[in-house]
Amino acid sequence: MNKKLISLITILVFSLLVLAGCGSSGSQDEQKAANDTIKIGFLGAKTGGHASYGLETLKGMKMAVEDINAAGGLLEKELVIAEGDHGSKNSEASIVTDKLISSDKVVAIVGDPTTGLTKIAAPIAQQNQVVLLSAGAVGTGVVEIGDYIFRDTLLDALAAPAVTKYCAETLGWKKVALVTSINNDYSVGLSNIFRDALKKYKVEIVTEQQVKDGDTDFSAQVTNLSGKQFDGIVFTGYYTEGGLFMKEVRKQGMKQVLVGGDGLLSPVLWEMGEGAVEGSMVYTGFAPDPNTDNAKTKTFIDKYKSNNDNKLPDMFSAQGYDAVMLLADAMKNAQSSDPKVFRDSLAQTKDWKGVTGTITIRENREPIKSPVYLLKVAPASNGNSWEWKIQAAIPVTAE
Amino acid sequence: MFWQQLINGITLGATYALIALGYTMVYGIIQLINFAHGEIYMIGAFVGVMAVIVFKVNIFIALLMAIAVCILIGVSVERIAYKPLRRSTRLAPLISAIGVSIFLQTLMTLIAGPQAVGFPQVIDDQLYHIGSVTVSKVQLIILFLASVMMVGLQLIIKYVRIGKAMRAASEDYDTASLMGIDVNRVISFTFAIGSALAAAGGVMVGMYFNSIHPLMGVMAGLKAFCAAVLGGIGSIPGAMLGGLFLGVAEVAGVALGYGGYRDAIAFTLLILVLLFKPTGLLGRPIQRKV
Repeated sequence: MNKKLISLITILVFSLLVLAGCGSSGSQDEQKAANDTIKIGFLGAKTGGHASYGLETLKGMKMAVEDINAAGGLLEKELVIAEGDHGSKNSEASIVTDKLISSDKVVAIVGDPTTGLTKIAAPIAQQNQVVLLSAGAVGTGVVEIGDYIFRDTLLDALAAPAVTKYCAETLGWKKVALVTSINNDYSVGLSNIFRDALKKYKVEIVTEQQVKDGDTDFSAQVTNLSGKQFDGIVFTGYYTEGGLFMKEVRKQGMKQVLVGGDGLLSPVLWEMGEGAVEGSMVYTGFAPDPNTDNAKTKTFIDKYKSNNDNKLPDMFSAQGYDAVMLLADAMKNAQSSDPKVFRDSLAQTKDWKGVTGTITIRENREPIKSPVYLLKVAPASNGNSWEWKIQAAIPVTAE
Repeated sequence: MFWQQLINGITLGATYALIALGYTMVYGIIQLINFAHGEIYMIGAFVGVMAVIVFKVNIFIALLMAIAVCILIGVSVERIAYKPLRRSTRLAPLISAIGVSIFLQTLMTLIAGPQAVGFPQVIDDQLYHIGSVTVSKVQLIILFLASVMMVGLQLIIKYVRIGKAMRAASEDYDTASLMGIDVNRVISFTFAIGSALAAAGGVMVGMYFNSIHPLMGVMAGLKAFCAAVLGGIGSIPGAMLGGLFLGVAEVAGVALGYGGYRDAIAFTLLILVLLFKPTGLLGRPIQRKV
């Protein structure tokens, strides 16, 4: 009995010693790694409904990190990405942000690609004084959260009026139907901007319909449209619902096309909508323009294509690339990877040339990015799918 | 406009009714809310898509394949997850059902990926104009198939031996088994029929709304459960009525401009009906068995 007890205690003590040994050697490794690297966090979805935004952003970020490390690293250190996947869940976003800051010890976070989740993550980054640069949030009320919060996107507040002007003056639209996804922050905000812009350019809204993210049945809303006369549908939600909505529109025999923000920008739009979305127009801060005169853009497109079976990059990968580059340039200018220091040089960015165009950070930390591309869904050259065709590049100015 | 919206509502309601039948039949016999039932519906939709895309079969053959696979899964779920718990507390099989539901969702997410999958266009966009109302071919097919299945179910339960056994088992499970009814077979058969109807509902919803998703069974299952309770759980005509009622009410809400509240409508209705008629629209009054 006594012998047993003693041997048990001995085993316990030994195992504790071994465990303690493991712990200390591990933290030494970490210490060493932290001294040679600068960590940037990726916050986004690699799974779930918004996965196509997150995965593309991450692809762009990885390309930027490769380019920086190939050119000797950043401030003589290696740049690495800590990946945080929240699976498109609001509830997970804050947990993942916490983890990036407290256990991965990142100096900056790129993300989230959506406005709604950025608004959840931003207060946490602000509180911990870590720079958060969203490579996708375009709605209102993001940078207002605090002076560590930035974005490198084309703002809806600037883009939607530019696109409305184009629809009214170049396409001659007089009447539209407005469709909002009301459980989606981004969509509700964008609809408000469109409402003002449509009024300004004297386009009448003949009817407003509400849908929800996750809906698959749009028959009732589309039936409500069917009695009305209008030139186009302004749809402010995301691609899945956009594609299904248009399918229902064609099913009920209407011929109008859809116009909307970059929330619709994904091949899923035609995977869901098929022929029904042909002619639909989506605006975006980046388009892989084959005739671009921006050398940076050309290099980026070529490199992306060779890495991805000749596929063209989308806005999210380009903005993800620019986000990392913008952060790296800010750290270089400040000669520091301390967020409290390089935050200031990031805020002073002026006429910075990236792969997505020209970016200036205004005094209120909101970016002005030019131009806005209006893309149109057209049949692909191989005939059995669809692709984006550049309809127009509209210059953007601050009002 | 009114008639058009009514058709939209009835089409949606018919799919709810098909799923609700599975809930109500199982509850009628073993007093179990089979929360995995929504997942059977989801799997039906995925098997349908796979049959159309991979095996390139006609949609009706795809429907039969989905039904066959779902019967197999539905019956096995009962054997594996519910049968061993039949004599335990009522809570145990309920928790087991939730476990099966999460397992099947996750399994399908692993197999098919987390994104919504487009259901290929299998039926042309033919529209029929009847007065001011436009009905699509898909809507007609759904209404026709759903009616055939519901009438067929009624006939089986009224006139076929196994259907009579189902009714007997639902009346009094123990006595039925004392009278020589093989209740295990009856229960398996009930799960088979319920799963077949859910599979058919899944394929139809897929081809009507053109989109399926590994988590589509959650909300549809909850709504169908509402429909079953609304109509009076345990009552087969009640499930049909409840489904149609719910579909029409939901579409009416959306048509009036409250699209954001479409899910809330179902649950509000449920609360209202239960407040005034606790046994549901066609439910039997609760009798305490002596």
